[in-house]
Amino acid sequence: MIITKNWLHQYLDLSDISAEELAQRITSAGLEVESIERMSNATNLIIGEVVSCEDHPDSDHLHICQVNIGDTVEQIVCGAPNVAAGQKVIVARVGAQLPGGEIKAGMIRGQQSNGMLCSLLELGVDPKRLREEQMEGIEILENEAPVGHEDPLAYLGLNDFVFDIALTPNRRDCMAAWSMALETAAILEKEIHLPQLHLDRPMEPTTFKVKSETTKCPFYLGKVIQSVTVKPSPKWMKDILMSVGIKSINNLVDISNYVMLETGQPLHFYDLDALPSKEITIKDQQSYTYTALDGNDYQIEPEDIVLTSEGKPIGIAGIMGGNNSKISEHTKSIFIEAATFDPVCIRNTSRRLNISSDASIRFQKGIEPLAPFKAIARALQLLTMYAEATGLEETVQCGSNHYVPVEIDISLERINRLLGTNFEDYEVFGILNRLKFSPRRNRNLIRVSIPSYRGDLCLEEDIAEEIIRFIGYDRLPSTLPTLPATVGALDKRQSLRRKLRNTLTNLGYYEAQTYTLISERLKEDALLPFHKTVQVASCMSEEHKFIRESILPSLLDCMSYNKARSIKDIALFEISNVYAQDIVEERLAIACSGYIQQSKWQKYQVEADFYTMKGLIESLLPAIGFEGTRVCIKENDQDIEHLHPYQSATVYIGKELLGIFGKLHPQLAKKYQLSDDTIVAELKLDVLLSNKPSRVTFKPISKYPSVSRDLAFIVSEDINVQDIVQSIQKQGKLQKEQVIQDIEVFDVYTGEHVEEGKKSIALSIQFQSNTRTLKDSEIQELYDRIMDALKNDINAVLRG
Amino acid sequence: METLASIKEEGLTKIQACSDLADLQQIRVLYLGKKGIIQDFMKQMKDLPKEDRPAFGQQVNEIKGILEEAIECQKNTLEVQKMEEKMQQEKIDITLPGFRPQLGNLHPLTLVQQELEDLFIGLGYTVAEGPEVELDLYNFERANIPQGHPARDMQDTFYIDCEQLLRTHTTAIQTRQLEKHAPSLPVMVICPGKVYRRDDDDATHSHQFTQMEGLVIGERVSMSDLKGTLEFMAKKMFGDKRVIRFRPSYFQFTEPSVEVDVSCHICNGKGCSVCKETGWIEVLGAGMVHPHVLEMAGYDSRKVSGFAFGVGVERVAMLKYGIDDIRHFYTNDIRFLKTFTRFE
Repeated sequence: MIITKNWLHQYLDLSDISAEELAQRITSAGLEVESIERMSNATNLIIGEVVSCEDHPDSDHLHICQVNIGDTVEQIVCGAPNVAAGQKVIVARVGAQLPGGEIKAGMIRGQQSNGMLCSLLELGVDPKRLREEQMEGIEILENEAPVGHEDPLAYLGLNDFVFDIALTPNRRDCMAAWSMALETAAILEKEIHLPQLHLDRPMEPTTFKVKSETTKCPFYLGKVIQSVTVKPSPKWMKDILMSVGIKSINNLVDISNYVMLETGQPLHFYDLDALPSKEITIKDQQSYTYTALDGNDYQIEPEDIVLTSEGKPIGIAGIMGGNNSKISEHTKSIFIEAATFDPVCIRNTSRRLNISSDASIRFQKGIEPLAPFKAIARALQLLTMYAEATGLEETVQCGSNHYVPVEIDISLERINRLLGTNFEDYEVFGILNRLKFSPRRNRNLIRVSIPSYRGDLCLEEDIAEEIIRFIGYDRLPSTLPTLPATVGALDKRQSLRRKLRNTLTNLGYYEAQTYTLISERLKEDALLPFHKTVQVASCMSEEHKFIRESILPSLLDCMSYNKARSIKDIALFEISNVYAQDIVEERLAIACSGYIQQSKWQKYQVEADFYTMKGLIESLLPAIGFEGTRVCIKENDQDIEHLHPYQSATVYIGKELLGIFGKLHPQLAKKYQLSDDTIVAELKLDVLLSNKPSRVTFKPISKYPSVSRDLAFIVSEDINVQDIVQSIQKQGKLQKEQVIQDIEVFDVYTGEHVEEGKKSIALSIQFQSNTRTLKDSEIQELYDRIMDALKNDINAVLRG
Repeated sequence: METLASIKEEGLTKIQACSDLADLQQIRVLYLGKKGIIQDFMKQMKDLPKEDRPAFGQQVNEIKGILEEAIECQKNTLEVQKMEEKMQQEKIDITLPGFRPQLGNLHPLTLVQQELEDLFIGLGYTVAEGPEVELDLYNFERANIPQGHPARDMQDTFYIDCEQLLRTHTTAIQTRQLEKHAPSLPVMVICPGKVYRRDDDDATHSHQFTQMEGLVIGERVSMSDLKGTLEFMAKKMFGDKRVIRFRPSYFQFTEPSVEVDVSCHICNGKGCSVCKETGWIEVLGAGMVHPHVLEMAGYDSRKVSGFAFGVGVERVAMLKYGIDDIRHFYTNDIRFLKTFTRFE
């Protein structure tokens, strides 16, 4: 909403308030003044008359002007193409401050010049308010302009402040200058004087017919004016239109625009003689190409509302009139239209045709029910004053505005309870009166009448808001709710997430957050996919088209971004929901490459490889209650397309698949321009939540010494360490007590001294009993048993 | 007896002159060993008249004791010396870098979100979540945004089909919570989560961002309670000196509705570039839960009232850490992520 201080001043006295204070007061009442712009900041100006204008002897475009500025005549060199003797002009005197700098007396190509003749552009007026010719030459004032007038800005209405006000959707009424004035008057507690409208003027009978064949035009008012005179608008109207950025065309077009600005009701004036007949029918369900008044062709679709006469289109409702019936300088008689159209329909049409006008915006926001009447009456008043309108016919009406005045009963006690305040009767009555709600007592309640333009008010709570915003939120106390006690806590899932996050960050991983919406390129690379990807129907770009089924591809993108910036050591993780049709699943994805820990000069480093990821998972799971036989890491039979087939694995909790991890498939590494050492994992959090964590219980610590024995043997290369460990474990019982406490692999070797196809494994086994000290002979017995078993089970050969 | 005295003197001199632990051990053997000098004297005892033996024995033992003590004392001195020498040899350059274990860190959005969660948990709230792929019903209808309302526009919402969409605000969590709890009281939840709007990504817009909304429903919950709660939050998030102000605003979900400004934490309200010289920073939207919303969920709006507020997690993080571009949060440049070692 654009309005100016001078404009508001027409309706209420603003002489005692600065523009800044006015803006601040309006803002604190909830209508946010986003900017205040002074139309021109130029100083030291005066109105002058060009007495003579001669060509400059040494220039093909400069003129030497003698300019009368009242008490003296100054010589001024002027380069404007449109300067001529006899013109009234704006003179910037020596010392004047203009946006372009200070005006100084001086010689221009050998000729003395004591000032400058100005265009409005040179005075700093925003070009969007100016017509083309105003930008190309100096401003030529009316003949009546008083020579020697020292405030040409005031004379031109340029001493004004333009306010740009952001309106919340409920206050669309303030799109109308009259409503804005009413609101401002209420805020400032001032008297307001809106133009008096004479709604009951005698009219001539009409033969004009309007009918509607659509439900999308609930209300239509029309009026024939048999005679008008087309001419320029009065200066005050031009000034206001200019200040809000609407270009003045002629009195008729300007009046239709000005009345829309005042009342919020868009008007359309048809050239009556150019209409095919004295009949208008409003329709939808039409389909054709149509030339609008901007001269362009538009495709009309069945959902659009069109105005027709004798079946021929004469306008796209709410958007733009037709070329044939538009007002021209030859217009003699007019038909005025003030209607309401379905806002959603106007919005769709406006968007599809890519036309947004002051009118279409107002239709989209909805029009207050009495606005068509006000607008017609105001238009008649102005047309009579400025266009010699005569021959006014009766208003033609079609449909109804269905307006029922709204009354609300409010309880001060309830309002105080809602706000947490103790406002008194008199205060509340004062505010309701300022708002022109005519408050009166109704038993122990207060009854208010809501003005037609305040369609946003229908509940007691709405009135509570009016009261507090006028009293001011700084008077609202500050308390905490007094409610029955509740326990605040994280739930299981939220705690698990935090635990995972904390553990991973402590181990050197950084948390990432990436987009849920991904491209086709990333979609293909989902780990553990559902193959039921959800696509958004209204995507904006190929980059954000699908809802991801897996987090990992997004992390790979991040790795790739970092790698392109020469960052080689990367360890990232992300916890996020993933989605597929009818599926939601929360996941943890991890990706790393390079060194996760390192100190170069100490030659200490932890490099990302299969075993770092495996170890990470093996440490992570016990920390959240899953250990021992409940966790099972198996060969990867799930996905060898994205992971290295021989360096990847699946992990299970019991029989449930928790996730998959390992080295990224070189093919995929290449696709994301990553190195071959990229290690990844994706785990399903829901599996961790649906399985019960093991209980933490204390196991007595044995008092008896532990003995450890090393053994090294050669086995075939395809034997897994896990099989060896299991084979050893089975032999660990001594008198029904498992005395093998730990088996640790400390060397795996292939190469020199080991036969091709074989490997050497060295283990350390720790024996300990909870009940007694183990004898050497017993340990020897166990050792022999283990060696026998290894020989039999896996064909192991003891190393010398 | 002169010999005994001279042995003692000689022994003590040797011991004190000894500068090596191995030599000292030899001295010990020489004097105190089984075949040592002292033992030799003891053997002489049997050749003495019976009455002289005790005095002699005592004398020998005395000297033995003195020598033992001297050896022990010298041993200690030498050991300390040796340790000193060893330590001197072990001198290192303490200016070389230590091994710095890589401590990863949380994403700044998580940092802010957790801080907010914890502060409200302390006030008795629970943390509620909901689906990001949401039904129109919970995202719009129940939030008092009926069919045809501009906020439901295709333009701003990622629709999946005519019923489902990516939620545009965490208000969807609130409407689900209201339905879940109604008609029981009180309700105290905060609802964090990712939300989606059809915006082009630039420095200040992101098609995905994070919101945190709060909801309190009970008997006699008032707008002053909202003010007190938000004041508490502003102080926790931006420092004890913060004050807040309400400006009237409009949201479908609440009536009355307010925008909440927090006094600028950079300039303390004096005016600076961060607060655009106003001294205030807009941080929250809030209000009293709209009666329609309460009724739709199954509460009697004549008897029950409540407040709701919403904050942009990115916005808080940007203000707190001085981040100038919202896209940083989703690019995950390691150098960016490494900055956020803690919430302060």
